[in-house]
Amino acid sequence: MNRFSLAVSTGIARVTESALGPYQTAVIRIGFTATWLLFLLREFPHRHELYGPEGPWDFDLAQQLIGTNGSFTALIWSSSGLWFEAVYAFAVLTSVLLLLGWRTRTMSVLFMVGVLSLQNRSIFMGDGGDNVLHLMCVYLVFTRCGQVWSLDERRARLAGEEHARGERVGPDRVGPALWSVLGFALAAATVAGRLDGDLTVPVILWGVWLGLGVWWIVGRLARTAQPRILLDVVGNIVHNGALLVIMAEACLIYATAGWYKIQGSRWQDGTAVYYPLHLDYFSPWPALADLLSSSGAMVLLITYGTVAVQVAFPFTLFNRRVKNVLLAAMITEHAVIAVVLGLPFFSLAMIAADAVFLPTSFLRRLGGWAARARARLSRLVTRRGDDRTPPPEPRTPENPEQAHVGFTA
Amino acid sequence: MDAYDAGSTARPGPDEEPQHAASAVAPPPAPPSPEPRTGVAALSMRYQIGAALALAVVAIAVCVHIGMVFLHVAPPNTVTKQHGKAIDDWIYPEFEQNWKLFAPNPLQQNIAVQVRAEIGTADGGTRTTGWYDLSAQDGRAIDGNLLPSHTQQNELRRAWDFFVATHDAQNRPVGLRGALSETYLRHIVELRLDRADAAGEGGVVERVQVRSRTTPVPPPKWSDEQVSDKPTYRVLPWWWVPTDGTDRANGTDPAGASEGGAR
Repeated sequence: MNRFSLAVSTGIARVTESALGPYQTAVIRIGFTATWLLFLLREFPHRHELYGPEGPWDFDLAQQLIGTNGSFTALIWSSSGLWFEAVYAFAVLTSVLLLLGWRTRTMSVLFMVGVLSLQNRSIFMGDGGDNVLHLMCVYLVFTRCGQVWSLDERRARLAGEEHARGERVGPDRVGPALWSVLGFALAAATVAGRLDGDLTVPVILWGVWLGLGVWWIVGRLARTAQPRILLDVVGNIVHNGALLVIMAEACLIYATAGWYKIQGSRWQDGTAVYYPLHLDYFSPWPALADLLSSSGAMVLLITYGTVAVQVAFPFTLFNRRVKNVLLAAMITEHAVIAVVLGLPFFSLAMIAADAVFLPTSFLRRLGGWAARARARLSRLVTRRGDDRTPPPEPRTPENPEQAHVGFTA
Repeated sequence: MDAYDAGSTARPGPDEEPQHAASAVAPPPAPPSPEPRTGVAALSMRYQIGAALALAVVAIAVCVHIGMVFLHVAPPNTVTKQHGKAIDDWIYPEFEQNWKLFAPNPLQQNIAVQVRAEIGTADGGTRTTGWYDLSAQDGRAIDGNLLPSHTQQNELRRAWDFFVATHDAQNRPVGLRGALSETYLRHIVELRLDRADAAGEGGVVERVQVRSRTTPVPPPKWSDEQVSDKPTYRVLPWWWVPTDGTDRANGTDPAGASEGGAR
């Protein structure tokens, strides 16, 4: 009994005092935004056919379908071509800004608006990759995904250094300005009846807006530290809950894909993998597909291996080493699928989802490589440019004073 | 639950000491340093109650959401039969998902969507074109392509799936979605015919007819299975193409459109 209550209180302490998995949430933020950004750039020439008011799934069809399900899309607010271009540009811009981690919370909401606006406008254009992004962009809103590898982290660190040197840190002007503008836009959309469909998205939009407002007011006006700490604790709790949902979602994806396969005769007789490789829509490299399926034993191995890994994955989370082996196998398989089945964006989205399970030590090494690569690059650039020497910038913050939101228990 | 942190914090390696800070606690105001402690321990009783309340609300929301998503992706079962409405209300529209990827069995047929058109020619006559194999065009666009577009890989394929799912065996639409799928499919074939310049100079596409050709994928050469390589066809009635270019007024009334075309 005593041990049980100790375990509970340790657990409560962990989920309230820090936002767990700062590197994992940062890497999925970067992964999903990069996937969406690359997709938008790739489809730029086809954007009108996919989502435009004059595309085959035209404004009128979209309006009728959305009338029945109430899903959120800003593209239904106007049939003007200019509005469409603006929303597409908005989706590109917000994915860049969230990727960089600039005003992360606000950008995560705007990123969600961009993703949902385009995808819900033409739901019959999407595939599994779009479905993953659709869900994850909503879940990301609730995470503190900018704790590392972000401009927010950099700004906070620089402000902290200035503060430590005794310099006065001026008040943040961009945040309140952004908040006011977006609040005005949100109020306008609500009053105009644009958010009258399903409640999920309007509740998230208003909730985050109010939350940020309360955060700012408390940060400025509260006389004691208590309210601010409480808000911090609530932020941690919400973050940790969302992180759990993201991981559960990834497990459900694999479990569903795996368990349904077990019931299929082709997955049982070991020939299933042969068939997608010979569908016209999923065989960009017929010669490669023939090579892969030249041996029956090979196809059997891949077929059984796929099912085994997908079914097993959720259970391996209880063992770190086995989990990492399976994770590597799944990321490899998705990289192969990207090329062989011609599904690059689906695979990227799945790899981004897998990344939430990567070990911290690996992610930090990855961050170190990226930082060194960037430093080398900037040295190269500055050598060519003027002789202004930029201060060296470690990519991973190494300031022990601020370790309180780190990953250590 | 949190496999990676269980692993990485339970046994911290020498390089895993607290040096990795994550300072972005607060987006706008940088937290002043005086309080070293955070978390519930630093809170007075009054605020601890608030934190406990938040914890309870989030815990319930997380459990309910994961449970709902689980029931949504699970096969129909006792619980989903009793509470299907509540599950659907929670899931739709924004959390809808389907992960039966190539399951229970992968598709084992190539389904090609083909179209032909009746052209009103410049001299007042009419002529019927041959069949355009639109899926074959998609297939050629995908061949050797590292980055296939959704317009090549998903648009026609999923539009046909949508059509089949919302029509009965006699090609009669079921509900609003059936009607929408007809207009959608017609728009796609019109677009493709236009690109192929099917109407020719001075000609106008007056009617279109769509059919699907389903061919089984030949079994692997190391298999002794016998599968017929004969294609089967599903032929839809002729559809009128609205003349004014926009079909806002009547085009979404598929009954009219297909009756007119069915002869």
